Amino acid sequence: MIRFATFACIVLLASASAANAAAIVGKQAPPIELKDSNGKVVRLEAFKGKFVVLEWVNFQCPFVGKHYGSGNMQKLQKAYTQKGVVWLSICSSAQGKQGYVTGQEANTLLEAKGAAPTRFLLDPKGSAGKAYGAKTTPHMFVIDPEGTIVYNGAIDDTPSTDKADIATAKNYLVAALDSAMSGKKVETAATQPYGCSVKY
Amino acid sequence: MSRALVAGLLAVAVAVAVAVAVSARGGPTGASRNVKVVLVSEEVDIQPGRPFSVGLVMRMRAGWHTYWKNPGDAGLPPRIKWRLPDGFSAGPIQWPVPERIPAGPVMSYGYEGEVLLPILITPPSRIAADSVTIAGTFDWLECSDVCLPGSAELDLTLPVRSGSPRPGRAASLFAETRSRMSRTLSDWSFSAEAGPRAISLSVRTPAGFSSRGAYFFVDQPLVVDLAAPHGFEHFPGGCRITMTPDPNAQRPPQRLTGVLVFDNRVGARARRTALSVDVPVSLGDPAPAPKQPQRRSLPRTYYVAMLALLGVGLVLLWRIAARLRRA
Repeated sequence: MIRFATFACIVLLASASAANAAAIVGKQAPPIELKDSNGKVVRLEAFKGKFVVLEWVNFQCPFVGKHYGSGNMQKLQKAYTQKGVVWLSICSSAQGKQGYVTGQEANTLLEAKGAAPTRFLLDPKGSAGKAYGAKTTPHMFVIDPEGTIVYNGAIDDTPSTDKADIATAKNYLVAALDSAMSGKKVETAATQPYGCSVKY
Repeated sequence: MSRALVAGLLAVAVAVAVAVAVSARGGPTGASRNVKVVLVSEEVDIQPGRPFSVGLVMRMRAGWHTYWKNPGDAGLPPRIKWRLPDGFSAGPIQWPVPERIPAGPVMSYGYEGEVLLPILITPPSRIAADSVTIAGTFDWLECSDVCLPGSAELDLTLPVRSGSPRPGRAASLFAETRSRMSRTLSDWSFSAEAGPRAISLSVRTPAGFSSRGAYFFVDQPLVVDLAAPHGFEHFPGGCRITMTPDPNAQRPPQRLTGVLVFDNRVGARARRTALSVDVPVSLGDPAPAPKQPQRRSLPRTYYVAMLALLGVGLVLLWRIAARLRRA
């Protein structure tokens, strides 16, 4: 009995003190190797020479719902992929947790929403999510052509689930991409992301 | 399942549905799927020119939580859009000390069970009406493994009456909530230093104070890596709490603000001393203090399960003893 209680305590303590990795602004982006929604293996290094956006996603999270329900995320995906940016949406929900999708389910959802990422990556083990320190959905990263993280944080400056806020919000991702792609320094390179916790 | 049980469950479901439908049309109570909210007043009536407290009581279903003003790595604090009579003004939400709610590498700060969020309302010095209605839209995010937005339109009508204020039914809840809020105490002093390895908060404690550990709830974003355990150590006349800097912080903070909670014992009872902190930060290279294990209170179900196991164990022991006696 006492042994069991002690064991339970140790397990609880151990699970509460997991170490934290992170993608740090100014540093090299951690490698990614994941299957996409069509079953093809995608490696981040294959996109060297291009700007890459990473978007952490969980289609059942109300914050993600705000940006897809309003069409905001799809608009950004289309605008920047047309300019040659590689847009990778990544789902790190574990199997059985909210937002988990198979490749086929992801493709159905992407089509229904009119989403246009370059690839949709499946990360049910959370390896990429933890390597980047992805905390919320959405959580946005921008990687420059040399493979350096130039933005890590929120999509915009108005944490809410209200679609009406998008019109008045300052979009950090747009500001970061526009600065970096025109060769300027990203003024706000790190912000506190907002959203649902990533369902590891 | 028996028919009576099904009928009973149906009756409960209908009652809940009716209650939710009614609350959606205003009044002091409302609900989402997992949180019940009630707008309460500390006093039964109000006096012109004298500020009074109202508050939002949030009752979370087991396993669900709402958020502190700094929700931590994820989440969103509750938001209020007031609709007050002319000349009335509402102060900010007074936030009780939150709990740590970790989920893997994501640390949230919020409330489980029940919380009262008090707000001070200042009425004008003259009120013509016999009664006033305080109303607002209350939005929040409720999370367990999943997150859902909650919202309620609440209103509360209070009579205007001259004379001395009379405490209402919720008065004791306000008093209890205030006793657990963080305080600013004059016989404590703080200093903070930030460096590449740690952010260190030093505290000079009054004579006779001792604690086993402490946790600092920072209320600024992008300063502290919230999921990393804090360090803690004593020095003569005080103690030091060290935190891991947020790896994405672009510059060290100029001030450190938040709530420092001590894990201290008075006799056999655990107590939490909570202090408001707002100090300038000097630059240096403080060393991280030894890590303290991250603790969080175990859920009530854990204790219930342990008691049940103890009971089963006792019954088994009693049976074995009985068998031995017969043999």
